[in-house]
Amino acid sequence: MVSLVLLFVVYPLIASINITLYDWNGIGVPTRFVGLQNFIKVAQDQWFWNAFRNTFVYTFVLVPIQLALALMLALVLNNPRLKGSTVYRAVYFSPVVTSAALVGVVMSLLLSSMGSEISGPLMRAGLISAPVDVLGSPAFALPAVIAVGIWHTLGYNLVYFLAALQSIPKEMYEAAMVDGANAWHRFLEITIPMLREVGAVILFLAVLGSLQIFDLVLVMTGGGPYYASEVVSTYIYRFAFTPASVAAESNVGYASAAAFFMGVLVMTLTLGQLLAVRYLQQRKKA
Amino acid sequence: MSASTIRALTGNREVPTQTCPRLSARWLVHAALIVAGVLYVYPFLWVLAGSFKTQGEFFRSGLSLLPKQLNLDNYVYAWEAGQFSTYFTNTVVLAVSVTALVILFASMAGYVLSKTNVSGKKIILGGMVALMFLPGGYTIIPIFDLVQRLGLLDSLVGVIVVQTAGALIFNTLLFMGYFSTISKEIEEAALIDGANLPTTYARVMLPMASPMVATVGLFQFMQNWNAFWIPLVFTIGNPSLRTLAVGMYAFVGENSTGWTYICAGAIMSILPIMALFFFLQRYFIEAVAGAVKS
Repeated sequence: MVSLVLLFVVYPLIASINITLYDWNGIGVPTRFVGLQNFIKVAQDQWFWNAFRNTFVYTFVLVPIQLALALMLALVLNNPRLKGSTVYRAVYFSPVVTSAALVGVVMSLLLSSMGSEISGPLMRAGLISAPVDVLGSPAFALPAVIAVGIWHTLGYNLVYFLAALQSIPKEMYEAAMVDGANAWHRFLEITIPMLREVGAVILFLAVLGSLQIFDLVLVMTGGGPYYASEVVSTYIYRFAFTPASVAAESNVGYASAAAFFMGVLVMTLTLGQLLAVRYLQQRKKA
Repeated sequence: MSASTIRALTGNREVPTQTCPRLSARWLVHAALIVAGVLYVYPFLWVLAGSFKTQGEFFRSGLSLLPKQLNLDNYVYAWEAGQFSTYFTNTVVLAVSVTALVILFASMAGYVLSKTNVSGKKIILGGMVALMFLPGGYTIIPIFDLVQRLGLLDSLVGVIVVQTAGALIFNTLLFMGYFSTISKEIEEAALIDGANLPTTYARVMLPMASPMVATVGLFQFMQNWNAFWIPLVFTIGNPSLRTLAVGMYAFVGENSTGWTYICAGAIMSILPIMALFFFLQRYFIEAVAGAVKS
């Protein structure tokens, strides 16, 4: 076990630093040492920053909406008097068990079919001149991917929140009801404070997962149109794994530099979040 | 008047005024949940319907959920000409092997680490926790290079090894946590009866950890059935090694007009994992909920 981890988890980390220093097309042994040139090129490439911005837009739009929806749904389903809540839970969880790649394919089909269905009447009414092509429009591509992303992994957060809600002692609510607190007050004064700790972990996992978004974007838009929905991982993929015959820009060293930069950034964010979670836990104990 | 009587009085006063609105409110909640639930799984139902439609019907019928007849041609095409039989086999091999390997390695490592007297335990644990929080996706290039040099590129073995290694840390920690909750007396009894460490692990401890085996197994199976990034990158040179997720992606590129075939392919990719989910629903959800707790 240790050797597998060392070989496939630890070694790549160290090796990736080495690769970033070469101009290398990925075939054979890297020979053209370029020092920090790759990092400078990444920092100067506006398309890297475009992908970088899109990654953060994806994360910071998706996470709050998804968590808010998941929490609301969890509060509704957590009601012990609600019959069939396990059936609802299964329904809302079901997209989670399918792959992002498949969801991406299905949603692209559905969106284009929906596009032609909706476009017809709108065109006849003279509201639009051409059929809507959601994924083909620079303005709508990223929002569409975000919407699908929210739909796809909402179930995880729903189940997390349900587990957290069920760990809140019922007596607390009963005591508050005796004191005359209404539902809204009970939510603000009991549910929110009691969820803070697990909530921080849920937020942490959601942010971490979203910053690594790859499958959905690659399958739904390929990062297009005109890089409008490109994220850092698809940017790296484009440089590292597009065969040199297709794209002259293929450069593994360059892609590694971008990956390394993003990896360090995500790790810093992770550590920051971890410290925040730990702080919340300690404050609770104190 | 005591506090309890006040409670009883106010409680009593509330009941008659609130029963009526609450009852209709409950139906409203159900109605909303059902409508949202149908919309939620609509994409799957639509694809299922689409997989039975003919090409022409598919374009004419738009968003409708009812195919005119149960036409199975799309399945036959996707399975044979669309290579889905190969993709299916590859996916089963990948998911089953990784699941088995992860359970084996993670439980063995977790068992040893759960014992308090292992030398260097703190260092190993600290290293593992630190590694767990490294962003996985961004080390793909050196992993690719490594697998290439090991001669495992364009083989399922390469994909299996990389997927297994990536899952080990988290699951070892899960097993470690579980083993440390099992009472030490049973283990000691086995050791006194003359069983050595491997026998104790295999005959006593692993069977006792079966709930954790189920959790880890289910989660790993699902993750590997759906894996995309690693199988995609490691099978770029050999289309016959594609898994369902990768094959689906490639299929769309190659058959961008054969939508009904794509639907049939999608259903074949979803069906096994969805069936598993519906039969083992409770365990799936517990596995996920358990992951956040620990």
